[in-house]
Amino acid sequence: MVGDEHVTMVPVPPGKRWAATVNSQSVEVLAPSNAVLLDVLRDKVGTLGVKRGCDLGTCGCCTVMIDGVPKLSCLTLAGQVEGANILTVEGLSDGAHLAPIQTCFSTHGGSQCGFCTPGFLVASQALLNNNPEPTRQEIACAIEGNLCRCTGYQQIIDAIEAAAVIHRGEAALPAAASSPHADPHPSGPGEPTMPPGHAR
Amino acid sequence: MTMGTYRQQPGASKPEVRKDGKRVAGKQVFPPPGSGGSEPTMRPRDLDFIPETVGGKEPKPAGDHIHDRDRTGTVVGKSIPLVDSNAKVTGQAWYGDDVRLPGELIGKILRSPYHYARIKSIDTSRVEALPGVIAVSTGKDAPNRFGVLPVTKDEHAMAVEKVRHVGDLVACVAAVDESTAIEALSLFDIEWEEIEPVFDPKKGLEDHDEPIHWRGKYHLSRTNVQKRVFQEFGDRSLVDSPFAASHGAWTMSGVHHGFTEPHAVVAHWDPNGRLQLYTPQQVPHYTHRALSTVLDVPMHQINVVRTFVGGGFGGKSDPFPHEMCAAILARKAGKPVRITFDREEVYWINRGRHPSHIEVKMTADTDGRISSFDIDALIDGGGFASFGHVTSYYNGVLATAPYELGSFHYTGARVWTNKPASGAMRGHGAVNTRCAVEVGLDEMAESMDVDPIDLRLANLLPPHSRTISGFRITSNGMREALERVREGSEWDTKFRQLPLGKGIGIGCGFFISGSGLPIHWDPKNFPHATVHIQVDMDGGVTVHTGAADIGQGSTTAVAQVVSEVLALPIEMIHVRSHESDTSPVDLGSYSSRVTFMNANAAIRAAIGIRDQLLKAAWEMLGYHPNVLVLNDRRIYYKHDPAVGVSYLQALHKAQADTGALIARGAYRSPPMGGVHKGAAAGLAPAYSFSAYVAEVDVDVETGQVSCTNVWAAHDCGKALNPMAVKGQIIGSCHMGLGQVLSEKMVYGRTGHLQNANLLEYKIPSVHEMPHVEAIIVESSDPEGPFGAKEAGEGPLLPILPAVVNAVYDAIGVRLRDLPLTPDIVYAGIQKHLRKLRLEEPEQMQPPRLEHGPLQPLLVARGDLHRERDRLRQRSEDTSAYVNGVLFGFDPDRPLSEQHEGWREAYEPLPEQLAELGFAGRAWLKKEQRQIQREEEEQRQLDIDESEKPKIAVEHKTPPKDRKSKRGKSQKIRREL
Repeated sequence: MVGDEHVTMVPVPPGKRWAATVNSQSVEVLAPSNAVLLDVLRDKVGTLGVKRGCDLGTCGCCTVMIDGVPKLSCLTLAGQVEGANILTVEGLSDGAHLAPIQTCFSTHGGSQCGFCTPGFLVASQALLNNNPEPTRQEIACAIEGNLCRCTGYQQIIDAIEAAAVIHRGEAALPAAASSPHADPHPSGPGEPTMPPGHAR
Repeated sequence: MTMGTYRQQPGASKPEVRKDGKRVAGKQVFPPPGSGGSEPTMRPRDLDFIPETVGGKEPKPAGDHIHDRDRTGTVVGKSIPLVDSNAKVTGQAWYGDDVRLPGELIGKILRSPYHYARIKSIDTSRVEALPGVIAVSTGKDAPNRFGVLPVTKDEHAMAVEKVRHVGDLVACVAAVDESTAIEALSLFDIEWEEIEPVFDPKKGLEDHDEPIHWRGKYHLSRTNVQKRVFQEFGDRSLVDSPFAASHGAWTMSGVHHGFTEPHAVVAHWDPNGRLQLYTPQQVPHYTHRALSTVLDVPMHQINVVRTFVGGGFGGKSDPFPHEMCAAILARKAGKPVRITFDREEVYWINRGRHPSHIEVKMTADTDGRISSFDIDALIDGGGFASFGHVTSYYNGVLATAPYELGSFHYTGARVWTNKPASGAMRGHGAVNTRCAVEVGLDEMAESMDVDPIDLRLANLLPPHSRTISGFRITSNGMREALERVREGSEWDTKFRQLPLGKGIGIGCGFFISGSGLPIHWDPKNFPHATVHIQVDMDGGVTVHTGAADIGQGSTTAVAQVVSEVLALPIEMIHVRSHESDTSPVDLGSYSSRVTFMNANAAIRAAIGIRDQLLKAAWEMLGYHPNVLVLNDRRIYYKHDPAVGVSYLQALHKAQADTGALIARGAYRSPPMGGVHKGAAAGLAPAYSFSAYVAEVDVDVETGQVSCTNVWAAHDCGKALNPMAVKGQIIGSCHMGLGQVLSEKMVYGRTGHLQNANLLEYKIPSVHEMPHVEAIIVESSDPEGPFGAKEAGEGPLLPILPAVVNAVYDAIGVRLRDLPLTPDIVYAGIQKHLRKLRLEEPEQMQPPRLEHGPLQPLLVARGDLHRERDRLRQRSEDTSAYVNGVLFGFDPDRPLSEQHEGWREAYEPLPEQLAELGFAGRAWLKKEQRQIQREEEEQRQLDIDESEKPKIAVEHKTPPKDRKSKRGKSQKIRREL
């Protein structure tokens, strides 16, 4: 019982060098040898898009892709995936250009409060990488480990179906609301027009 | 030249040049792109989204609307992504735990291991001695009480005198890292004195040695009753000779919101000594007020920053003790402190739906009119009041529509128990009663041999009417919703005709769209919602609102209406709603108020900006604003689009001499409702209506129920963003299905919560989710923004009764214990088999329906009322309509002149006391002030008789504090 007796907890092991490729960047951090991947990603690597919902592998918010396979980072020890290729939600987009799955989640209402969205995106991207023509049932199986409390899943499945169509090249990527403004000088800026008297 | 080619970019014009060819300094034009939107030319007007009443093509079956003239066809009514969705899909949305300040400490909370205990002493010396612990705090650091409702402030940051449930906050620490903080929690030396706990809400009605809270002279005897309600309306004599009746006693388990983001908070006292508090909150303003109270710091020295909220559903709509803890620790430590809950702690703080015992009796007369609803609701509030004062009313009063009732009788009581506190959850207070009422109607329809949809259609309140309890109903799409789900589900070919194990059921609901009473102030003095808009030289529109976006899309709704009024692309609207420093005061996201109130305020503010722009255009063009048209970044003469100015030209003209354009808009609800006690509960400027049909499969061997199809029609007035509305409808179905089929907070025999995790608390996964056909009904509310009403909570109500009724249709067994887990259904089937002396469940006969003589009468009345409703909806019939007209009530005469049976009552008559329902027994108890008064009178009598002034003097000494009050009442009890 709390307060009755004091049991010293296992001391935190000293930090140990941990290296992996996260979102195509090689990272090297100091992490305890018993560290959970979720903690390392959030607290050390700084990929805060990986969400902590339950710590027990029940909600799927912390799903990341490890060597192309979606896994729960809260149930993975960092040491197990040393040197692996890890993809989080931050790695899905190419700079400011969103991946089809991201745009479709946005345009189909697949994201309401958005907390579960990173996990869903990673899980569904992993599906689309392996299966270009998933049925609704296959999509459901791919996201069965992810809980969403807002959407009731229906619009998420719609979004993944729409993204699959784009992946197959049967539809153009719809312009997202925040697609970056077009670069007016795609081939590099010409001679800048400076106001008179402006120091070069 | 087509309209689409008008250039919007002032950058295309030539800069002013001097004679020597150089540009005039200081007269540069705004360079494209980025000014006035990135598309260089004006888009044509989208007539499909401009109402036919103002020359467009959008049909308006419900008649014209006051905001029709403000429509520009820009975004309202179109499915657009939420404006913050790109932050969410890229992982950049910052939720509570994503706020990482430099030098942060990790806070952890010590929670009570006892259900109910007095803290005799806390010794923190060993905690403070642990290296790495920076700050420690206990209840004595924050003695001020707080609570979401000003009338029931009963919470402390940490337990001051006693803990009231397992998981109640006892103390907190801030340490350099999480493991040190967790280690520190084991070093507190606390002396406890256990007190006999109460878990069963039924026992909460009994007198107790140590009530969980003490309310002084308002305390009800020595019970744990926090609030009792009695309401009676209408003609009770109609109850005496019912033609049909239904009676059901329900047990509903407590359910939790199950949002995916656990609570988290970051507190930081900045170098100026101001508190910066980052928290995912639905009600940042209430937190702001509570922080000020608890910390003894003026409100203007606190900045509450609402982070992105990872799901709320009512579970983040209280000021929370851990928010106070973080602020206290940060003040002590002089460093930022972050506290993040684990999933178990989320269940300890709870605020989920009340576990309830509900009894509903109803009767109908020979004409198939509903002559009475009798509701008795005993709700288990857990350890604290939270929103419970309101919930106690909502359990009754939110059953007074959409049907016309002959009489209504409600007794309710909310009791404290030693469990985590219940509070507000999506569909606040209305869900459980609604389920019981709708199932009762189904049962009554069966005993009358009529179709339950026709029974409902023949008993609906019309638009622009008043309910039996005095609520003002404006738009009402209930009839259309019922007709559309009936058609969509092919009801008439399925109901009572499906084979054993397959069933179909109907449920309806209505819900408030915003609470008519702002909790903290008089609506006569202050508005419910305020929105500020600022437009500076770049043409971007910055909107300041305090509306808390919890994923429902309130930011999008506000951006949409501003975009619509100003005819600007939505990319040009930037909503700033996170900080209390910059946002006007707003009550927050609850009671489904945000779209209705904030969007209304935003429309008013946008009209303020638009009028300034039109005035500038008037000066430039010479045409009066009445003949000017706003369309996609351009203002032009109605009859010649070539005569016009771009938005930026008009803006810069309007800004001459004054600088940035500023406007504000406010919303306050009109005066409405009665003045009786509790009249404000359930009062709303508009009500949403919904009807669902659900299809289920029941495995008669195992009792497993699965819902396969749902047709969900919801009247949201006007869908500002149909995609978001459908998302709300489907999401509500998901949450309601969880409550009716699988979700349950399991308290063991020891009162301990046994499933405080998402593994054993069964939220439906993607495989349990049926196909939901979301049907949007648009009744165009006269006071809603562009006609809109709520869509966030109302859609949850009908799914529960629809599923329960469908289960009956499938197996012929009425079940009244929620959730309908396989064990409950299996036991129900076995009981049914024993009753009918059947061997195998396959031998059961599902119920069948032969229409009785009442059926054609109801259909005829429904048809008659359809025309009545249409005329009233379109304001072609503006006569008064009050609940009771169906029973001969004259709406033009006051209650006192009606037939003598019609009355209103808010306290039971002495002769009624004996026959009240279970919760109604709270009325058998007396309040302390009444007990004291009676004692005083008795003493006066004694003095008069025997002249003993000594006792009177002793008792006249007023109690000095809470403790002595209890001392006194204990004395009283002993005397009794």
